[in-house]
Amino acid sequence: MDANTMIDSLSTQFPDAIYDTKVESKIRIIAKVKPEIVTDVCKYLKENLSFGHLCCEFGVDYPGRNEIEVVYIIGSYDHSVVLTLKAILPRDNPEIESVVPVFWNANWYERETYELFGVKYLNHPDLKPLVLPEDMLGEWPLRKDYKGFPNKAAKNLV
Amino acid sequence: MDEKVGPSEMIVHLGPQHPMMPGPFRLNAKLRGETVVDSEVEMGWIHKGIEKILENKTYLQGITIVDRICYLAALTNEEAYVGCVEKLAGIEVPPRAQYIRVIMEELSRIQSHLLGMGEYASFVGFVSMFMYTIRDREDVMTLMDSVTGARVTHSFLRFGGVKDDLPEGFKDDVKRVFASLRKAVDSYEELYSSDEIYKSRTVGIGVLTAEVAKDIGVSGPPLRATGVAFDIRRDEPYLVYPDLDFKVCVQKAGDVYARVQVRLDEMRESMYIIEQCLDQIPDGPLFPEGTAYGRRTPVMRVPAGEVFHRVEDPRGEMGFYMISDGSDKPYRVKIRGPVYPTLQGLPPLIKGVKVADIVAIAGSMDTCTSEVDR
Repeated sequence: MDANTMIDSLSTQFPDAIYDTKVESKIRIIAKVKPEIVTDVCKYLKENLSFGHLCCEFGVDYPGRNEIEVVYIIGSYDHSVVLTLKAILPRDNPEIESVVPVFWNANWYERETYELFGVKYLNHPDLKPLVLPEDMLGEWPLRKDYKGFPNKAAKNLV
Repeated sequence: MDEKVGPSEMIVHLGPQHPMMPGPFRLNAKLRGETVVDSEVEMGWIHKGIEKILENKTYLQGITIVDRICYLAALTNEEAYVGCVEKLAGIEVPPRAQYIRVIMEELSRIQSHLLGMGEYASFVGFVSMFMYTIRDREDVMTLMDSVTGARVTHSFLRFGGVKDDLPEGFKDDVKRVFASLRKAVDSYEELYSSDEIYKSRTVGIGVLTAEVAKDIGVSGPPLRATGVAFDIRRDEPYLVYPDLDFKVCVQKAGDVYARVQVRLDEMRESMYIIEQCLDQIPDGPLFPEGTAYGRRTPVMRVPAGEVFHRVEDPRGEMGFYMISDGSDKPYRVKIRGPVYPTLQGLPPLIKGVKVADIVAIAGSMDTCTSEVDR
């Protein structure tokens, strides 16, 4: 199965939720997904198109468009196509369904995206800070408008 | 992990500083008697915020930063980073530079496996092994030093090429070092397979099945030890790997012993790859001709776009996702390290084992906290 058939199969299965699809090369495809349905899409990808390997998941901040993108890079152990799946969330209240039920290793990626970007994952088993001290929660340091380390974080080091 | 402790249970904190650990992370293990019933990994003690730092550095400055993700895999980290920029900007790397990159990255794989294996042996009480491997690793480090001018953080790759050519007499040096290293690798294998105490601590311990490994997202030697032949060098080739002959080293057992065996085999394969490269390497420029790319590329702007580039690190799949907005700094860089999922998968793996085996299992995954904490 090549990249074109995969993307066709995905957009036929979810005609309303998948849009802006693009085949970049033989091994790279990009698609955008409606955030409400991301868990179902991931499930379909894993079970029917053998995309069983979540390479990573992360956020990207676009203050100009007032959006936060959550990007899923999904690869496979059986073929070498890598899918970039993007979900666009409003910057003021970013909320998305967790994909931990489908990809077990999304757990830490989602915790990290939560503490660095403030993306709230619904139905996540254990949503708490991973790499940052707990008193930094709410500063979202990887957003573009983050202004360095306030004294609060410095105190934590002493 | 549930903090509640039942009768005859207790919570033991391993770390953040512990002789087993290649860097600070904490493993909270709940024990019932000698058996682990539940555990949890806490990390972030040395979080460096490299993803944020890269957003504020120019592309060239970024090369020295990505070195510091993990000093054992500095060159493969650079390859993933530089490869992203090359894909975005459409730079073709000349063949000679590609061969030099492969040589250096395979050397870095050898030295990483040597240190990983030696450290691991010392975790299970086989300290003399560590002395052997660290001695032989020094020869490899000297080889790398002679090309890059640095032992660990090399800053050797450039956009479109490499910083320096191979020095005179490099081929002979490699021949000499590899002759002794081959013997050394054979002797390690002999030592491992003949030592009954070592075998009793490793064979059948920490068994990872292929299904669980795939679920956790493990890559690299721990995955290949479960029988899954997944290697980016073969599955998604970059540089001149398609022209080279090598096999993906696979073991079936999935236990601690198999992981060490995969690393031993990979070192042999890496030596074979380097020898092929030295035989095949063509003459030619180190940078694409007729372009401004060179050792010190002046301010460069990368065309807007997004790219995901992954390479085979000594520990597994290293990927960079880079978003460029057309300026001289990347808009966003995501680093996908191979150890991150492996460390995350530690709690299910050590569930039900004896407390003394935690060290044997965690060590065999060859974790690198520096990379997890990017």
